[in-house]
Amino acid sequence: MLYKSLFAFLMLLSFAASAQDKVTLNGYVKDSANGEELIGVSVYLPLLKAGTISNAYGFYSLTLPPGTYEIQYTYVGYAVQTVTVTLDKDVANNIELVDKAEMIDEVVISEKRVDENVVSLQMSKNTLDLDRVRKLPALFGEVDIIKNIQMLPGVITAGEGTSSFYVRGGSADQNLILIDEAPIYDPSHLFGLFSVFNADVIKDAELYKGGIPAKYGGRLSSILEVRTKDGNNKEFKVNGGIGSMASRIMIEGPLKKDKSSFIISARRSYVDLFLKAANQDNLVSFYDINAKVNLKGNNNNRFFAAFYAGRDDFKFADEFGFAWGNKTATFRWNHLFSERLFSNATIIASNFDYKLELNDPAQGFNWTSNLQELSVKYDLAYFINTNNELTFGYHLTGRRFSPGRIAPNTDGSIFEEVELQHMYALDHALYVSNQQRLSDKFTLDYGVRLSIFQNIGSSDVYTYDDPTDNLEIVRTDTIHYKRWENIKTYINVEPRIALRYMIGEGQSVKLSYNRMVQNTHLIAAGTVPVPFNTWNPSGYYLKPQLADQVAAGYFRNFRDNVYEFSAEAYYKDIKNVTDFADNADIFFNEDLSTEFRQGKAWAYGLELMLTKKEGKLTGSVGYTLSKAMRKVDGVNLDREFAANYDRRHVANIQAAYDLNARWTFGANFTFSTGRPTTLPTGKFEFQDYNPDVISERNGYRLPAFHRLDLSATLTPRKNAGRKWHGQWVFAVYNAYNRANPFTIYTRTAQNGDGDVIGDGRTKEARMIYLFPILPSVTYNFKF
Amino acid sequence: MKNIFTIILVAVVFLSCEKSVLLDLNQTQPRVIIEGLVTNQPGYQYVKVSRSSAFYHTGDAPVVEDATVIVTDDDGNEFLFIHSPGNDSDSSGYYLPAVPFTGVIGKTYSLSVVVDGENFEATDVLNPVTKIDSLSYRVDEEERKDPVDEGKFYEVLLYANEPQQTTDFYLFKFYRNDSLMVDGDTDIYYADDEALGEDIDAVPSPLYYAPGDVADVEMYSISRAGFVFYNDLQTLLTSDGGLFSQPPSNSRTNLSNGALGYFQTSALEKRRITIKE
Repeated sequence: MLYKSLFAFLMLLSFAASAQDKVTLNGYVKDSANGEELIGVSVYLPLLKAGTISNAYGFYSLTLPPGTYEIQYTYVGYAVQTVTVTLDKDVANNIELVDKAEMIDEVVISEKRVDENVVSLQMSKNTLDLDRVRKLPALFGEVDIIKNIQMLPGVITAGEGTSSFYVRGGSADQNLILIDEAPIYDPSHLFGLFSVFNADVIKDAELYKGGIPAKYGGRLSSILEVRTKDGNNKEFKVNGGIGSMASRIMIEGPLKKDKSSFIISARRSYVDLFLKAANQDNLVSFYDINAKVNLKGNNNNRFFAAFYAGRDDFKFADEFGFAWGNKTATFRWNHLFSERLFSNATIIASNFDYKLELNDPAQGFNWTSNLQELSVKYDLAYFINTNNELTFGYHLTGRRFSPGRIAPNTDGSIFEEVELQHMYALDHALYVSNQQRLSDKFTLDYGVRLSIFQNIGSSDVYTYDDPTDNLEIVRTDTIHYKRWENIKTYINVEPRIALRYMIGEGQSVKLSYNRMVQNTHLIAAGTVPVPFNTWNPSGYYLKPQLADQVAAGYFRNFRDNVYEFSAEAYYKDIKNVTDFADNADIFFNEDLSTEFRQGKAWAYGLELMLTKKEGKLTGSVGYTLSKAMRKVDGVNLDREFAANYDRRHVANIQAAYDLNARWTFGANFTFSTGRPTTLPTGKFEFQDYNPDVISERNGYRLPAFHRLDLSATLTPRKNAGRKWHGQWVFAVYNAYNRANPFTIYTRTAQNGDGDVIGDGRTKEARMIYLFPILPSVTYNFKF
Repeated sequence: MKNIFTIILVAVVFLSCEKSVLLDLNQTQPRVIIEGLVTNQPGYQYVKVSRSSAFYHTGDAPVVEDATVIVTDDDGNEFLFIHSPGNDSDSSGYYLPAVPFTGVIGKTYSLSVVVDGENFEATDVLNPVTKIDSLSYRVDEEERKDPVDEGKFYEVLLYANEPQQTTDFYLFKFYRNDSLMVDGDTDIYYADDEALGEDIDAVPSPLYYAPGDVADVEMYSISRAGFVFYNDLQTLLTSDGGLFSQPPSNSRTNLSNGALGYFQTSALEKRRITIKE
């Protein structure tokens, strides 16, 4: 299979080589105001009815027969630019597009937008419209990328106040979350109230739910690619915001005008300051720092370095504390080998760690855990001709997992130092993919990704009498593997196919199939992962998870592409989905491998979405009908059960309305079927305790979830000659004060003071709900 | 670590509210519940047999008064347990040895309970327990400032040696003036020795005492199965419903045939101290 595909690609390459009588037009597309590269700009030649879109680095390349062409550059929110170019040799044409918001009102530009949603080959992908996201209400006024991802069709959330999301029946750890190509292992602040993405600095956020291109891999269900701004290379700018929960500041500017720029942004919460002011010893805080510098000397060589660091810190009266955080660094070099061969070399480092601390003279300890990753990626795009674009590359990632170390933090502590052994993994991926335009109507993308995963030493692997017996653990042997020695290798071939067929003006159907492989597994048995969950590589016991997904979609644009409609159906089949035995001990367990249970999962659904992209009123309406099931031997008496995040109906509405230059209004509405949960079927007495009797996993559904949020943004009239621009954002979260279920737990009946009441044997169920009606005010500024 | 979920929940929900809700729950057949204890001290041996009830059942659980309860050791000695020998209503469902006996360290004990013709069995090893070297007490200054119970701010400290060459599991019980005390209705005091050093010095009790109180500390050895049972029970009692923690599930037990509960054999070490001002 693999060799055949490779052969086909070599054939294609030789075709391309014979096409030497053609010339190439290429360049970067930028925003005229700040020099930011624009991603996904349509570059279209009406004469040939052909074109391309700018890639993730703002670069495009078109190889054409010599001649004179009219070329249209179009991008949502920007004025269309039409350029006439005479191509008798290779031409580099960097284009600057003008943001409509920056335009003087009197200038009216007639335009016909391209129907990107329909024409593009990619299906099952959502790009967040960040301009609109900023107009929508946000919890405590903190604009949050992930909370908006959770509103997309095909995406399910476990409840408000969490930063995890579940894509097309996949669990939360099956999403690859990238910031400037570096993975974020836990995207939560304050256990999920906010995400780690500071919206000020975000340039672009895309979620791939299906038809995932061959350049991405490593997780089964989705890729969330978040890219930060490069920094204004025309002038210095300062942006900031003062919110009820956190404040933000961002500074950007040229290092050398038009050539090089920097951006630095920071956000910090100040709940702890309030607590301190209230004379409380408890401390709760988080921060994020993003920084980037770039050097865009010329079109042939561009360099970028990006950093992110974020951390949460909780302290309870100097007695107990915990902290966690992500740090990432990305160094990128874009190089043009020729007009048609674009390359991107990237070195990525990522670190996630957490810490738990108990301060006590007799029982004090520090508990630490981390995961470190270093990757080298080399991606190439070869723009063969207007009909073929070949992408290929090699990714190598090394990971070191340090699941836990407990050390006493006082001399008198009863604890001694214990450390779980480290695990190491090497992950190679080779991919090649060609996007081919077969006719005016037909476009095809076919590719393959080869994943070679190695779990390596040094490590001790225990063998067991019965590797699935977690009650009486009997180790039979210990196999020692030396440093770099191979413990287990898993080789998987991941085919990726997508096609698009135009069935008429502004209408298309798309089909895709992808196989995804996941070799890094989150050890989380709850519904919502917490930062204290560790990750494990595939290895001696744990097999790679495999997902096959087919998706079909119908795409249609109306009214000059002002409205976009899409309907997509999918079926996903997952093998070796990781689950855990009932009562699994997943924290600090040397015999963790006895707790794993791998089984199968399947999910299917229908997603409908209508988006209005232009005009005073913009927004989207989405509906998802879906089902997600699991069957895992050793769980729920081997019977199939609904996944924790299975919700039958989900509907989301997001709308923004620009009343006039001063006022903008926004609204979110969300509805979803209740999440399944495990509840008791009885109770019993044991000593003085009253435990529940449990008989079925996820056999009960929480009440339905629905909520309305509203916002109003006031932009006071600009004072001519003044650089300062201010903006007030007023928001109301949960406008009709619905008590939405977060979880239900049971306890012995108690009164309001927490004292057991009655005979001490009567039980009650308690529902926790998070946010009542919550107003917030945020002040944003820039100068 | 189990309690981390409770703490997380507290942290997440500093803005949250909660309320009681009435659930429309599925009902299943009642399960047989067995609670058995054999120790190396006289007077501690008992077996309680009852049944599970509906979640919203009020009052005591239905007890089983006509079970056949027999404990045997690995030498073949049989100890018959008879239902409520004193015949008082408090001990309904409790079975006591017909002839008093004490367990012996190192022996394996088997329990057989027959209820309505169905046989439920369990075995457990009676492991040794380390000695409590001493108890002492001191004032907890934080607690003195703001005591939960008026006047109670002394904590009892425990001193012992943890044998490092063996793998041991412990269960603790704390008494105040002869009453078993639990801080909250869900706390179980149990430990493994995985991260414990040899010197167990000045480990404080989970509850506070007033001057004049008599404090008793009991330390039970339990088997690995016992540790697993209590650990699972603690997880179940403090479950957040499976949001951050794993979905609730029944404790693993050494009992056969679907009975819930546990048959425990323990060596028991007791110490007493009277708190003086």
